[in-house]
Amino acid sequence: MADVVFERVSKIYPGGSGVPAVNDLSLSVADGEFMVLVGPSGCGKTTALRMVAGLEEITDGTIAIGGTVMNNVLPKDRDIAMVFQNYALYPQMSVAQNMGFALKIRGVAKSEIAQRVQEAARILRLEEYLDRRPKALSGGQRQRVAMGRAIVREPQAFLMDEPLSNLDAQLRVEMRTEIARIQRLLGVATVYVTHDQTEAMTMGDRVAVLRGGLLQQVDTPQDLYDFPANEFVAGFIGSPPMNLIIANLDDDQGVLRARFGDQSLLVPERYRQTHGLAQWIGRQVVLGFRPEDLMADSINSEDLIKARVDLREALGSEILAYLAITSNTDVVLDALPATDAETVRKRSRVVARLSARADVVEGGLITLSLKTDNLHFFDPAGGTSLRAPTS
Amino acid sequence: MSTTLITRSMSVAPSRPKLTPRQVRRRVGRGVLLFVMILVAGVMLYPFVVMLVTSFKTESQYLIGHGSSLQSWKDLNQTLPIGQELLNSTIICSASIFIVLVVGGCAGFAFAKLQFRGSNFVFLTVVSAMMVPLQAILMPEFVNMAKLGFTTSYFGAVIVYAALGTPFSIFLFTTYFRRIPDELIEAGIVDGLGYTGVLTRLIMPMALPAIATVTVLQFIQIWDDLLVGLLFLQNPSQRPITVGLAALAAGRTTSIPELLAGSLVSALPAMLVYLGFQRFLIQGLTMGIDR
Repeated sequence: MADVVFERVSKIYPGGSGVPAVNDLSLSVADGEFMVLVGPSGCGKTTALRMVAGLEEITDGTIAIGGTVMNNVLPKDRDIAMVFQNYALYPQMSVAQNMGFALKIRGVAKSEIAQRVQEAARILRLEEYLDRRPKALSGGQRQRVAMGRAIVREPQAFLMDEPLSNLDAQLRVEMRTEIARIQRLLGVATVYVTHDQTEAMTMGDRVAVLRGGLLQQVDTPQDLYDFPANEFVAGFIGSPPMNLIIANLDDDQGVLRARFGDQSLLVPERYRQTHGLAQWIGRQVVLGFRPEDLMADSINSEDLIKARVDLREALGSEILAYLAITSNTDVVLDALPATDAETVRKRSRVVARLSARADVVEGGLITLSLKTDNLHFFDPAGGTSLRAPTS
Repeated sequence: MSTTLITRSMSVAPSRPKLTPRQVRRRVGRGVLLFVMILVAGVMLYPFVVMLVTSFKTESQYLIGHGSSLQSWKDLNQTLPIGQELLNSTIICSASIFIVLVVGGCAGFAFAKLQFRGSNFVFLTVVSAMMVPLQAILMPEFVNMAKLGFTTSYFGAVIVYAALGTPFSIFLFTTYFRRIPDELIEAGIVDGLGYTGVLTRLIMPMALPAIATVTVLQFIQIWDDLLVGLLFLQNPSQRPITVGLAALAAGRTTSIPELLAGSLVSALPAMLVYLGFQRFLIQGLTMGIDR
């Protein structure tokens, strides 16, 4: 077992546009750690994983496994095991043969192969399927065989490329816990790629968020949720994502206020220090708050938001209310860094996660209270969090 | 009320459900199709039946229309070294098909799964060779082979047959391998195989329909071919069955039953190979249609 270290790794595909698929990535996955790479399509997460496997050449930087730089080492000599999105099981082989194939190639004795396959099958509850061909298995069973193929190798690191994306929703939840359980049982460093932030949050010891080939933030799931480093992470992590609106910061006789449209919000004094808001007074910031921090009850006069209900989604246990902030017309949209219409539209829309009993009517006006304990402030120009790194 | 109903239903015999017009049309359509297929099968099989029946007659029995005898088969065996010629055909077919499969498999894998500069252009160039008829290149090929001294052994004919069959083989294998997910190959590489190992241990075992298709089509083509055998096999002891049969027809005998016995011997192996591989052949030829 070993750690996996990316050191300023870049990847530019030859013959492509010249834009790096992975750009200057530095990331360390500790021995036994479950690291999730998450991001939208094309963010470079799979490319990063494939570079660890040796399936893609590294344009710049180094990747080390267990302290050994692997840039020029063949995939078969890297001592890693990979689980693919479509499982990549060998159709002409039985489950047992699939699981033992890598060991057979390495010349491991038949008796040891059989013993290791049996052990992996026991862990994965696959014992009764060992003689079957992959086509005779369900999606979940195939997934487990793919895991088994990785386990029997007893590799230095596991690499998993969206292994749950072909499963239905219910099976995905089951396999999520199953994979996390096995990883913890084996204690092998794991790099897991997904575009599903729920998988990332529930499975990873740490989560690395990528966008456009650049690492945005790497942190524990909770810290990623509580302290996003920039607007992208704030918008990507969490479902529904964080609400982000443009606000003007004012100092009203020593009291900090965030104004948006004809509304204003009292900003607790502590943000002046933690986010260095003193220098943003009289300027625009992006104000962020989570949907669950908007409440229909316990209203007081200082932290109210008035909005029109565009859409109401009743989920049984809660209601998601999609709101348009009223009188938001004087928000200076031109000042936004992102110019596309979708982003601009989103900036005047917020989502509230309300109790199932809340009185929410589509098309009606609603007044909500905002819990100001967990406000976020971002630079409207670059999107980075204004929160001081040390706080 | 209910008693009345039960009584009535028990007393009336259950009638067959009436067919809808659509079902009637479908049944009539199937009947017509079956009739046409039987007709076509009859037309195709008739020559074989005639061949088989006539081969078991003497020439006089053939002329009067009845009687049976093994005389034609005995005459054929004396006129032609039939065993040797069948062996020659088998050797030439096997060697040619082996080369066609090896070259086609390797090239197909390269074109389908390995990225190299100009791969599409090279692929199209190779595949376009399928359009060139044998007759167009026969003379230059003969001159080349004669200069190299290959016309006095099986080698010349084998090389020519392999060269003629390889473009189709490459085309078929490339098409087949393109359907195999890249991840399967990558899984093999991560498991410890090189490209050769991936091809021989993972990909080729999955390509049985393609292998069978190439084998059957090439076998039929090579086994039944006369022209290449006539030109490129100058040594009489190495000539295949088709050349022997041509020699038979060209003057060694005028007996129709004997000629038909020879034709049957010549045609039978190709038919048996076709029937044996038929299931794979259909899979191979229809691949890609399901997508």
